[in-house]
Amino acid sequence: MKMDLEQLRKTAAEVAAREEVKYLVGWKQGTYGYRVAPAFVEDAAGAAELIFSPLCTANLATYLTLAEQLPVPRGGEPDDRKVALMVKGCDSRAVTQLLVEKGIERDEVVVIGCPCPGVVDAALLAEKYPETEEPAEMKWDGENFLLIRGGEETKIARNEILAEKCRLCRYPNPVVSDIMLGEEVETWDLAEDEGVQELENRDVDGRAEYWAEQFDKCVRCYSCRNVCPLCYCQDCILDRLNPTWVNRSVNFSENTAFNIARAFHLAGRCIECGECERVCPANIPLGKLNRKLAREVRDKYDFEPGVDPDAEPFQASFKPDDPEDFIL
Amino acid sequence: MSANFEPNVVAFLCNWCSYAGADLAGTSRVNYPSNIQIIRVMCSGRVNPLYVMNALQQGADGVLVSGCHPGDCHYMEGNFYARRRLGMLKDLMEFVGVDPKRFHMSWVSASEGHKWKEVVEKTVEDAKEAGPFEGFRRRQIDW
Amino acid sequence: MSAMLLKKEKWPEFVEKLAGKNIWAPQAEGDAMRFAPVAEGEAPALDYNNTRVPPKGALFPQTETMFKFQPEGAQVDEPQLEQETVVLGLRPCDARAMAIVEKLFKWDIDDPYYTRRRELTTLVGLACNEPGMNCFCPSVGGGPASTEGLDLLMADLGENYLLEAVTKKGEALLTETKDLLDEAGVDAVKEKEKLVGEAEQKIKRTVDTEGVPEGLPGLWEDPLWQKVSASCLGCGTCTYLCPTCHCFDIQDETEGLAARRCRMWDSCMFDEYTMHTSGHNPRPTRRERTRNRISHKYSYYVDKFDVIACVGCGRCTNLCPVNIDIIETIRQVKEAL
Repeated sequence: MKMDLEQLRKTAAEVAAREEVKYLVGWKQGTYGYRVAPAFVEDAAGAAELIFSPLCTANLATYLTLAEQLPVPRGGEPDDRKVALMVKGCDSRAVTQLLVEKGIERDEVVVIGCPCPGVVDAALLAEKYPETEEPAEMKWDGENFLLIRGGEETKIARNEILAEKCRLCRYPNPVVSDIMLGEEVETWDLAEDEGVQELENRDVDGRAEYWAEQFDKCVRCYSCRNVCPLCYCQDCILDRLNPTWVNRSVNFSENTAFNIARAFHLAGRCIECGECERVCPANIPLGKLNRKLAREVRDKYDFEPGVDPDAEPFQASFKPDDPEDFIL
Repeated sequence: MSANFEPNVVAFLCNWCSYAGADLAGTSRVNYPSNIQIIRVMCSGRVNPLYVMNALQQGADGVLVSGCHPGDCHYMEGNFYARRRLGMLKDLMEFVGVDPKRFHMSWVSASEGHKWKEVVEKTVEDAKEAGPFEGFRRRQIDW
Repeated sequence: MSAMLLKKEKWPEFVEKLAGKNIWAPQAEGDAMRFAPVAEGEAPALDYNNTRVPPKGALFPQTETMFKFQPEGAQVDEPQLEQETVVLGLRPCDARAMAIVEKLFKWDIDDPYYTRRRELTTLVGLACNEPGMNCFCPSVGGGPASTEGLDLLMADLGENYLLEAVTKKGEALLTETKDLLDEAGVDAVKEKEKLVGEAEQKIKRTVDTEGVPEGLPGLWEDPLWQKVSASCLGCGTCTYLCPTCHCFDIQDETEGLAARRCRMWDSCMFDEYTMHTSGHNPRPTRRERTRNRISHKYSYYVDKFDVIACVGCGRCTNLCPVNIDIIETIRQVKEAL
């Protein structure tokens, strides 16, 4: 990994200082342990805290659509400056998909691409190397990860703690960018999606049992929805009360309806950044639902979201010869 | 599952073809199972996946969505969208453990009263085979 | 206060003695723990740090039916709360949270659901020997062996549990199980105090709340809120997993011809929380919502009930997807004062 932190900060400082840029969203060291926090940089000086490391799991594309649009005060001018965004490969697919859906316009963003050799699964890391209150650093080191804390360096094999989404990643290099940092990384051999396959091999009752247990844990905090760069409806169906599509009560029945609705609304749109699964406080393997759908879309409909900015949105288009073997 | 289990099947029929087809079956005195509860919608493309979920939550043992044959849609392409969308939903429901026998989709035109009978027979038979739906039904939960 | 010893091998028997009551205890759920009713004949293991979801649901369920009604004869059924409950092994911070929340539920109007549940529930706490990474209970008035809110406190002394009754309910529980218990000597109590002292030493993170309750209202328009909330996703993780968060929403739900009115947890971090019917939202952005969450815990609640509505369990910090750290936030508040 040839990512040079100096170069990153210099570029970010230059972009953040531009008059047309409102702020730049990047990653910074978190307050403890393996945490990395999103950083909002408004001027060149702020860029000094930016980092890019194997701990930068968060998909920052969600901040493109998250900011509330307040009405412009009478006589005021709307602030239509651009937002600059640092993206990994998967994050850039979210940007592309947002462009496809016209969630954002291309001239509203400055995309700074960071080729990504794969990030770590912080939960897995914490399991093997317990987290402490002291903030830790991490680096890519050839085929390994380097954990640096308290002046000590620990070498950890890549496969030991590589995030699941990265094992299955086909786009480590950003597919859309205005500025590219560092050199492109080579794609790697893909792992089998064992989680999904294992479930597919069960019978229908086995799967029902598995998901019943999972959905029962859901507390309906909606962090999966809010963190998702592609869940950006202003008026989400889950918040509607008239009609009530999904009841507010938290029980297995409503949780199932909610989780299916969430996964379904991402069919043909999910870019597999794995954020929903990462943020879930109940550790529900939401990624399996999304990856299963993404694979069906790929195999049956020959479509992949977030790759081609000129594509038609999957669920708002069709082909006359779409498969219909399931129709009576 | 008892042998004389009579399933509840909810059917969403498009106004222009399938509903007329079901009507034709009626006027032609075609006999078909009475387990089916028809809800008329303007187009199969109007069927939100949550309709299917809600039907199952509220006591349906099977769900059928039926529309015009591809190319015949009153709104030109509504059924094409429905095909894509509900095809995905079928895959997803199967993945979370809903028996695929519980959800069917069909194309029935206004002149296909007999096909309607066959579709209903198949849907009801499948729902019977799958048995009473107990997965994520609301009534399962003790309020 | 009487102190008793329970040998660890007698723990299953102890739980068995409580049969007939509804027993809540921490249980493994995947890789996390959560409080849930224990199946009969099972003895819960108590070797855990803390649960992800706090045990507040034992007194304040996430979804609670207030009454059911049917169209025929305008019949209204109110649920009868009769079942005695014992919550085993909750952490002192979570019990303290219950004591804090109780002040609100018993404030101007006595909340019948909460009060009734509390009357029927015996809270058996477990002192912390190994505090978590983001624990800061001593900074907000608690401690690894705080007894506030508890009926009985247990402490893990290696081979034995030391049981100390705090309230009459706790005494009653000790009487009920006295066949299994031995009188605890002075040594045992000393041993426990030593462990508590050690545990306190292990707590690394602290907050300084001096001047914060009085100062927060003056920071209404401070740029700090923009800074803190910039990365907030607006999800409900911090509030749903907070042992002192107690906001709820009331909804009517139907099933066929039956209906019920129920209340469920709500979160001030959701945008519809303060949404008016007119479409106006007095807290239109995450900045105002974050400000409210922090101010409510550290200022408004202090104003009303004279106690900080944060017990330092660290859950919001542990589980925030974007590392919004309440300790860091309070530090920034302090700085802005």
